Amino acid sequence: MGMVIEAEGLTKHFPIGRGKHRRAVEAVAGVSFAVEAGERLAFIGPNGAGKSTSIKILTGILHPTAGDASVLGFVPWQQRRQLASRIGTLFGQRSQLWFELTPRQSFRMLAAIYDIDRATERRRIDELGALLGADDLFDVPVRSLSLGQRMRCELAACLLHEPEILFLDEPTIGLDLLAKQRFREMLVDLNAAAGTTIFLTSHDVADIEHVAHRVIVINHGSVIYDDSVAAMRQHLLATKLVEVGLEHPTADLALDGVTVLEQTPTLLRVSVDTTRRSIRGVLDHLLDACAVSDISVVDPPLEQVIAEIYTAAQ
Amino acid sequence: MSRARPARRLGVPAALSAQRLLADRGGLAFSVLFYVVVVSALSGLWRAAAGRAPVAGYSAVALTWYIATSEAAICAIQIRLIEEIGDDIAAGTVAVELLRPLSVVAVRIAMQTGRALARLACLIGCGAVLALLVAGSPPSGGAVLLAVPSLVLAVAANVSLQHAVAAMAFWIRDARSAWFIYQKFIFILGGMLLPLEVLPSALHTAALRLPFMAMAYAPARLASGHFEPGLLLVQAVWLVVMLAAATAAFAAGQRRLQVVGG
Amino acid sequence: MTQLAATLRSSMADAFARRASFWSQVGTMVANDAAWIAFWVIFFHRVGAVRGWDQHRILLLFAVLTTSAGFVLGVLSNTKRIPQLVNDGALDEVLALPVSPLPHLLVRRIDSINLGDVLFGIVLFAVAGHPNPERTLVFVVACIASAVLLTGFLVATGSLVFFTGSGQLGDMSLHTMLLLANYPAEVFTGYTRALLYTAVPAAFVAGVPARLVDHFTVAKGAALLTAAVVMAVLGWTVFSLGLRRYTSGSAWSRG
Repeated sequence: MGMVIEAEGLTKHFPIGRGKHRRAVEAVAGVSFAVEAGERLAFIGPNGAGKSTSIKILTGILHPTAGDASVLGFVPWQQRRQLASRIGTLFGQRSQLWFELTPRQSFRMLAAIYDIDRATERRRIDELGALLGADDLFDVPVRSLSLGQRMRCELAACLLHEPEILFLDEPTIGLDLLAKQRFREMLVDLNAAAGTTIFLTSHDVADIEHVAHRVIVINHGSVIYDDSVAAMRQHLLATKLVEVGLEHPTADLALDGVTVLEQTPTLLRVSVDTTRRSIRGVLDHLLDACAVSDISVVDPPLEQVIAEIYTAAQ
Repeated sequence: MSRARPARRLGVPAALSAQRLLADRGGLAFSVLFYVVVVSALSGLWRAAAGRAPVAGYSAVALTWYIATSEAAICAIQIRLIEEIGDDIAAGTVAVELLRPLSVVAVRIAMQTGRALARLACLIGCGAVLALLVAGSPPSGGAVLLAVPSLVLAVAANVSLQHAVAAMAFWIRDARSAWFIYQKFIFILGGMLLPLEVLPSALHTAALRLPFMAMAYAPARLASGHFEPGLLLVQAVWLVVMLAAATAAFAAGQRRLQVVGG
Repeated sequence: MTQLAATLRSSMADAFARRASFWSQVGTMVANDAAWIAFWVIFFHRVGAVRGWDQHRILLLFAVLTTSAGFVLGVLSNTKRIPQLVNDGALDEVLALPVSPLPHLLVRRIDSINLGDVLFGIVLFAVAGHPNPERTLVFVVACIASAVLLTGFLVATGSLVFFTGSGQLGDMSLHTMLLLANYPAEVFTGYTRALLYTAVPAAFVAGVPARLVDHFTVAKGAALLTAAVVMAVLGWTVFSLGLRRYTSGSAWSRG
């Protein structure tokens, strides 16, 4: 089990502005990490954090300002074409499939591009159809498929050549909840069945919870957290936010494990550390102690999770 | 519907459109470049043709001023206007507009005419300079002055007819082919590519009876030195007819939307 | 099947799948071209010959133009769309594949509406071009050279988007080139005429090929082939330089 991806001090500057206003924006600043074969890794961060830039560097589309990287032994930006035959990429809304054709017809073209012989092509299509539950979709024109169905076929398209690593950049954007869930399950199944390394960028915390073994959090171009999901779960996904609409002002709250974030005569927002107090307990208490007109329990936004990671890291 | 100050209700959208057009420097540069290239090429062709003797009574100088004017009348208008109107109809944008207490087609025509007139102003300037440089002064100063209001009428009539044609999108959802065919009629029967006098006589007579002549031939005929103020009257009549046609077409389309749904 | 051929075949199937619209679009283009023919016929009927050009030769020019430009804009339709593809990020899709980016990009989409032009051009040559084996051979080779030249030119001007960020130059060049190619260069004089053989080589797109079919000389043939090669090399070079700039992220937004 060797390292399939190694990044060392990756840095990327983009020039912005003209003339004397010209300056360099640091999109990625000294990112280093290593990924083993068969891992499922989520690369998480808010918009503009440097996720897409990093994945573009690793797939050979961009070359870095400084630093090294090696993917399956290739230097991505120098050996793009050789690397491309060994990896699969699925970039959000981008499509490899022709709109008017059936996925199977597009697979024919892709088979020629990846130099796959007919027998292998047929076998692969059958395998992928079974794995992704998409057998019945392959002969329907892409324009007739729903977004969720299309994404399954796109996934099949980038797996046709049996890549060792699958890079996905925000793949679940635009999908409804059910479709997102199915997609995540497919990635897990794929990893289990074929040992394909999964490298996924996202700003959706649910992708961490359901797909990844390991998570790297990137913000402002730097890695600020790199650990297993289990550890992170213990750490932070234990926090929930509770928002309470009040009919009239309430007395101050003092509960172990509960931090008051905001309190006005009509609104109370608290953060609950569910390792110290259960949500059920907090809700019971709130319903007893306050005149509640409305109540909601939500996951903290990613920005908050990251902020907590950041402060925890310091 | 309030009848108060219709001039303002239409004048404001027209002026705003004009302003927006003038602010889009890149787009304007493109239009001007395109116009200059077309006029250079086409008038060059006609000057070469009239090298030894006038063609259909037009000298080389006259032909240059003719082409500069006929092309200005057509290039002033957004290319693919019919397609855009058709797309708006198909997308339901027009259906939403029909909910407002305004005459949709009047506002749209006002806006597009405003835009076109702004572009026309730029093109007239360039065209006059180009023609002067390449061929010399126009055969008749007075006729050229008449060509200016004639150009305004030409543009307004063209925009109106395009709206009437585009209204077919209320029925068939795709106005693309209509645009192509419309263009071709204007090119030849409207006198954009050639003076109508060049056409074989039967075609010439027919073309003079069609509305397209008001959209390019009329101002060009004037600018090429033929003092025929009657042309302005003909244009005015066609403009009224085109406006009526556009209004009727959109009204019919509105009734259809109410029956069939957006 | 090679990568390019397979991609091309899929593009063809994709375009044909919209059958109803395919034939109506082709029909529209044919009508469009017919109108131009009408103009030329009327013109020459009235004027006779102009600077060595008569109706016959203009129809040859038009046949070459529609065949060559129809092929480039129809089959290699992405040639005219390079700025758009770059700005939309569609280039990334191509870079994710183990292919050479430019050829794959060019065959990735077919616009059936322009195929009507190709059909028209071929039929026009057959009907009005007095085809015999020799003339037909020259016609075919000249159309190919013209298509190569046009592609190279459009790729070069379109690739300026890598440097300027805007597709307007590419757009302007496309329309100007196609416009000027309709007219024989002899219509112009002096510097303008020289321009049509150099910076904006519209004369080579249809004018020179037409003269070649009518009256072949080695000098003219060599000039056409040279121009085609020069434009092809220019297009490839500008695109490659632009792509290098793209992958270094100089034309980028943060992600």
